[in-house]
Formats: sequence, structure tokens, C-alpha cells
Amino acid sequence: MKNYWNSIPEQVKRISILLIVIVAAFIVIRANLVPKDFGELGHYRTSAIDEIIAQNLKYGGEILCSECHDDVAEKKASSFHKNVSCEVCHGPAADHADDPDSFTPTAPKDRDTCPICHEYLQSRPTGFPQIISVSHNPFKPCKSCHNAHDPTPPETPKECSACHKEIFSVKSLSHHAFVECKTCHKTKDNHRLSPREFIPEKPTSRNFCGQCHSDEIVNNDEIPKISMTEHEPKYVCWQCHYPHLPEAK
Amino acid sequence: MEEIVQHLTPILNEVTGYIFPNEIELHWGLLVVIYPYLTGLVAGAFILASLVKVFNVKELQPTYRMSLLTALAFLIIAPLPLLAHLGHPEKSFEIFLTPNQSSAMAMFGFVYVWYLMAVLLLEIWFDYRKDLILWAKSEKGLKKWILKSLSLFSTDISEKAVLFDKKAVKIITIIGIPSAFILHGYVGFIFGSIKANPFWSSVLMPIVFLFSAIVSGIALVLILYSFITPLRGKEIDMACLDKLANYLFYVMIVDFSLEALDFIHRVYESEESIKILSDLVSGKLFVSLVVIQILIGMIIPLIAIALIKILKWPADLRKQIYFLSAILVQVGIFSTRWNVVIGGQLFSKSFMGLTVYKMSFFGLEGLLVSMILLIAPLFLLYILFKLLPPWEEARNL
Repeated sequence: MKNYWNSIPEQVKRISILLIVIVAAFIVIRANLVPKDFGELGHYRTSAIDEIIAQNLKYGGEILCSECHDDVAEKKASSFHKNVSCEVCHGPAADHADDPDSFTPTAPKDRDTCPICHEYLQSRPTGFPQIISVSHNPFKPCKSCHNAHDPTPPETPKECSACHKEIFSVKSLSHHAFVECKTCHKTKDNHRLSPREFIPEKPTSRNFCGQCHSDEIVNNDEIPKISMTEHEPKYVCWQCHYPHLPEAK
Repeated sequence: MEEIVQHLTPILNEVTGYIFPNEIELHWGLLVVIYPYLTGLVAGAFILASLVKVFNVKELQPTYRMSLLTALAFLIIAPLPLLAHLGHPEKSFEIFLTPNQSSAMAMFGFVYVWYLMAVLLLEIWFDYRKDLILWAKSEKGLKKWILKSLSLFSTDISEKAVLFDKKAVKIITIIGIPSAFILHGYVGFIFGSIKANPFWSSVLMPIVFLFSAIVSGIALVLILYSFITPLRGKEIDMACLDKLANYLFYVMIVDFSLEALDFIHRVYESEESIKILSDLVSGKLFVSLVVIQILIGMIIPLIAIALIKILKWPADLRKQIYFLSAILVQVGIFSTRWNVVIGGQLFSKSFMGLTVYKMSFFGLEGLLVSMILLIAPLFLLYILFKLLPPWEEARNL
């Protein structure tokens, strides 16, 4: 054994001792610093769950609100805002639920809050009510026309552009400016009252566009014409041409 | 709230097209650019050192120890930009105590420690051990004790022991080459594995990172060698400098080919992101990518070194051109890191818009801290050079 010890080069012994000290220090530090309950349930301390639970609640939740404000809750439940929770607009109100007199939630009265959801944005779904706030009844607070608990517009919109403003603006610059929306989209009257239940139809075949653009049709000479059998017969028209701005590339 | 609005308003004015709200401001700034840049220099300098020991390139012997110390100085500073970026540096050791295997960044900590402890420090220790013992004997006072403790109070300088040191250095270098590859390949992996970002997500990323790292490491040692040697009143070894420039030239060609391959691959694949990426490259990244990275940082140095090889210019002119080319290469590689880190965040995941990066001067993420972090390794290197002189004449004192 002694011979074996002597056969190890001196420098290896020294570096090994240093290595052993480092590894031992790491083991001791790890044993002392890693919380005992770490890793029991996942890559975190189990006791962290209780610490998070013990934090003060800020939001009471819609169910709690409706226990006292049942009239408003009922109205909202049948409106377009049925999926918008009370505290989205009124702010966190757990304190108000605990003691109604100590804290009263605020209600937005200006024109800044509603556009957070309803300002026109390219990425918002088509048909979601969107306005351009600088031109939509300027300076008038939203609540003077719309009740936030039942935001159906006070007057049923007559024109498609009331909701589909962005498509209307694009189309009004295109060669299709004078083609009415209903020419291509068959729309039931109820769509204006319940837009999501009565969705307008869209053209489904090439022949629909061919009604104006086929070279076999005799109408205005200024309308571009194509041969329905030879012009890209495997594709439907809107794969290449955007109908609301057909001249776009 | 008002502060956020004030901060975002000037950026919003320069946003083009459509971008998602969380893409307006970049999450990774200048500090995250510096981190792969510094790590790359480490890997590159080490690979250069390994050429001497493993591949027996005798001409590079004068730069061997310098490369090792350069790698060490830059490796010690390399994680600091990350610590400054993440905040709470006092908690950083926790990634070692409770390793999270599903986090690439957390596992990088272990790669770093392995490279620092098992490769670089060990190789430097074995290489310097005999000299440390000898220097300690001739020194007095505090320095004697620093040198003694650095040698771990080792005393054996018999021929057998020195031979063992040499063997150990060779074995560690052989282990060190794949380790250096992993170290910087890992940095590339961290970007390349982000599948949501088409600018980063590429299997070529670790390899491109690695070769650009070797380019920058060789260029750095070339700069240091040609700057320090005249300062010490010594003559530059032209065989060594020519060899350094040769290696720089060949690795740059490989790096350039890999980047070209990556580019052609992307253009041919023409995935849905290609339009926004071409807008990015021909617009916001034009100067930093096409002009600085490719033209100034790659093509001009390549042409300059190629001309030297063909025209056999005199030594004095060669020195100057090598030096200038290496500086241009450094600028180019820094730009490469910038283009990957900043460029990768400038376009929207909707592929419909671009944002802009606003750099601040003060603050943890600002230019000032970044400059300090870029200069810090050079200060550290100065101290290392004082303590462990890498020069040939110091060896046989």
C-alpha cells in the first residue's frame, strides 16, 4: 500500500487533495443550503405552495361580485360582455368584497379604457367590434351611448362598415369600391343583431367571380376578363386575388 | 405606468408593420451580445493553444502560454454579462445546487465549470508548476507566498516529475479540444435550439458559432502578440506570426463557407419567414451584417491576408497588415454576435413587422457597463501576465 502511495506523482497527490476539498465543500454546502422539501413535487420547494397561498388576495372573482350585485350580473350574463369578468374594468376588488364600505372600486368614465379592447388592430378577429377612436364620436365618453354591462349598440348598425370598418376602408380604395358587400356575402338580417350566430356566407367556387370576370360574359368592357377554363384552372380566385383589394399583389 | 409609456413611445415611432405588444422592446440587449463574444474568444484562444500541444505546431510555441492565459482571463469575465443581465448575482450559485436538467442555460453552468476547473486551470497548473516552484525560490515576500500557494506547495522538479507534467498537459489538451467545442457549441445551441425564432433556429448555429469563435480567438492572440512583443522590447517572431495568420485565414474560409451555406440553405428553403428576414437583412441589419460583418470583418481581411501570401511583402508591412486585419476580424465577429442576438429579436413572430433596438448609456444594460465588461478581461490578463509571465525568457529563469 505504501509503495502504491509513493508511486503516485507528487503533483497528482496535491491536486487530488484540492479536488477532494472542493467536492467535500460542495457536498457540505449543498446539504446545508438546499431546502429539505426541494424537489418533492417538482423543481421547487413544496412549502412555496403554502407561501403563495398565504399571499393576500387582490381579486375577488366574478362569483363573489354577483352575490351582491345580482341585477348587474344578470344583465351582463346575457350581453356581449358575458365573458368579461367584472374586475377587468373595475380593477381588483377583493377588499371591497371583504368590507364594502372600506373600499369602493372605480368605474371607467373616460374614453381610454374601452379602446384597450375595441381600438382597431389588424390582429383582432374580423367582426369583433372595433372603432378608430379619433374618428368615432370624438370626445364623447363611451358610456354616454353604450352601457358597459350590455354593450349592444343603441341603434342597430345599418351599414356593414359600422363593424367591418377596416375591410370597408380597403375596399373603398379598390376597383371593387362600388360592389356592395351583399353581392358576394349573402347575409341574413339577424346577423346585425347576433353577429356570431348568423355568419354571412362567402363564395365557394370560381364560377362566382366568373359571373363578372368570365370572357364569356358580355358586360362592362372595363371589367378584366379571363378564360375560366384556361386561367389557372386548379385554383380558386382568392388564392391569388384578395377580393377586397383585387389589384393588390 | 407613465414611465413605461414614456419609454416605449420613441420606440413605437420606429416600429414598422405589425408586431405583437411583447415584441416592441428587446429582452436581450447589449450584455447578451457580449456574452457569446467573450465565450467565443475563450474557445478560440484555447483551440489555438491546443495546436501547439496536440498537433505539434512548433512555430506557435511563443503564443502557447499567452493563449492559455487569454482563455482564462476571458473565461472568468464571460459569465459576468449574464449575471448583470439577469440580476441577483448572489443567487447564481443556486443553479449548481439544484440543477435543472431541462434548462439549457442551467446546464451551461456545468459545462462552464468543467471547462474552467477540469481543463483550463488544470492545464495551466501543470504547465506552470515547475516554473512556479522556481520563481517562488527567487522571489521574496508576498509574491513568494502567492507563487508557492499557486503551486499548491509542490516541490518536486525532478526530470520524472516534469515529464509527467508534460504528459498531463497533453492529455488535458486532448480532453480540452472537445470541451472547448462543447463550450462554444453550447452557446450556439442556446440560440439554435429556439424553434420559435426562424432567424436562430438552425442546426448549423452551434457549428457556425464555433468556427467564428476560433476565428476571433486566433485574431485576438495575434493582436495581443503583435502588440505586447514590441512593448517588451522584443522582436516579433515572424514565423509564428505568419503561422497565426495562416490559421486565421483557413479558419475564416471555413467560417465564411459555413455562413454562406447557412444563407443559401435558408434562401433555398424559403420558409414562410424568408420575406421578413430579407427585409431585416436588407434594411435594419444592412450596415451591421452586410457592411461590417461580411465586408469589413470577413472579405477585406481575407483579401489582405491572401495578398500577403501571394505577393510576399516585407516583414514590417506584413506585421501591420496582419494587425489591422485581426482588428477588423474582431469588429466583424462582434458584429456577428450583434446580428444574431439583436437581429433575431428585431422582427415580429407574426412575420409582418420590425421593431428597433434602443441602447442606453447608463444602467446595468447600458453601453458603459458593456464597455467595462469588454475591457475587464484585458485588465485581468495584465495581472495574469504579471503573475505568470508567459514569455519564453521567463521559463528558464
